[in-house]
Amino acid sequence: MQASRARLFKEYKEVQREKVADPDIQLVCDDSNIFKWTALIKGPSETPFEGGVFQLAFAVPEQYPLQPPQVRFLTKIFHPNVHFKTGEICLDILKNAWSPAWTLQSVCRAIIALMAHPEPDSPLNCDSGNLLRSGDARGYQSMARMYTRLAAMPKKG
Amino acid sequence: MSGKSMELQSTASMEMETRTSTSDYTNPCPICLGPINQSSYLDKCFHNFCYNCIVQWTKVVSGKRSCTLSSIKCPLCKTESSSIIHGLDGHNFQRHYVNPDFQDSFILSKAHRYRLQCYYTEPGFLNDIFDVQRYWKLQKYLQANQWLEVWLKRELQALIQEEDVDIIMHHFLGLINSFFRRNEPEYQTETPELKRKRFSQTILDAAKPFLSARADRFILELELFLASGLNIEAYDSVYLQRLGWNKPIVPSVANEEDLGLKSVTPYLYIFDCDPDDGD
Repeated sequence: MQASRARLFKEYKEVQREKVADPDIQLVCDDSNIFKWTALIKGPSETPFEGGVFQLAFAVPEQYPLQPPQVRFLTKIFHPNVHFKTGEICLDILKNAWSPAWTLQSVCRAIIALMAHPEPDSPLNCDSGNLLRSGDARGYQSMARMYTRLAAMPKKG
Repeated sequence: MSGKSMELQSTASMEMETRTSTSDYTNPCPICLGPINQSSYLDKCFHNFCYNCIVQWTKVVSGKRSCTLSSIKCPLCKTESSSIIHGLDGHNFQRHYVNPDFQDSFILSKAHRYRLQCYYTEPGFLNDIFDVQRYWKLQKYLQANQWLEVWLKRELQALIQEEDVDIIMHHFLGLINSFFRRNEPEYQTETPELKRKRFSQTILDAAKPFLSARADRFILELELFLASGLNIEAYDSVYLQRLGWNKPIVPSVANEEDLGLKSVTPYLYIFDCDPDDGD
């Protein structure tokens, strides 16, 4: 408990110090609870998520960093490895490939990488996975782009 | 000229200072992100962690498996290591094995444990049985001791707590043999006391880097074994009797399982038939 708090505080200071270092990630700690964080990440360029800003919610366990944080998308996203309703993410480093050397910041980077490189063979969103698995890249991209526009971009007018 | 070089020197030393003071800050423990406390290294990749952090992580990983782990993936590079090296003080270090049985299965075998125990007895523990002075006086060393190699290997394994001590063992063996073989005229008139002293000093110089604080006692034990003129089995039984460890040696069938287990370590045959398993 104390160890996780100390480590999260170190991460907090690091985030404050390097705010400008990674313009694609904006990590914010909850005002009253250091175990609750949110992040805003930019959709990677040359993907259907480009131009969108996606919100992630982190719930950090007390055993952190020995246990991985729980992360989910708050913003709706059409991606094979993200549950369309709950925002749950299927990513090995958040499960059995977790290492305590990961930080919240580097987890965000891993999620951005996952957005650019979906794994259609372990889908949480079967519709999205099936489009890619059947070779319909155009169908996948237009669906994903539509949801990016609907949910991850500021509404016009 | 001299003023300029002074200036250069001072800036260089200042740079050194800032570098050392920031090293804690730039190389934090990857697990707690704080300055490293009780510096520890994984034995393959030598990535650096706090001792407590990496031990805790090892516990978490092994807690998830049903079988005992023998190695751990480095949190940074995923290289598999079987132990954590810690307590480095420039001479010695300690090892924390991922699989706690691993250490017992090899290093703390009964034979090695008994040898280590000998180092906690008073020096001269067996002097009434084996006469070391007589060994030097009667130049018994002229007769080569064929068991020395095996004895040395086990002794070094027990003291260094490493399985592979062959290089060090051959180093000592060569040193001892060449010492006894050397027969320059200036040494021929040497008194036994002087020869013994020179022997101790030669071996001590060689042993210090490996055995540090135990080097002095190691030489006494070495002399004792040489002076005994016994093979290892007989020597051990005398020693064990004095230590009070000894039980009558009765070969028993019940130990066949032990035989199979212990056959991994070639020098344990002495104890294969020792039914002293109760403790």
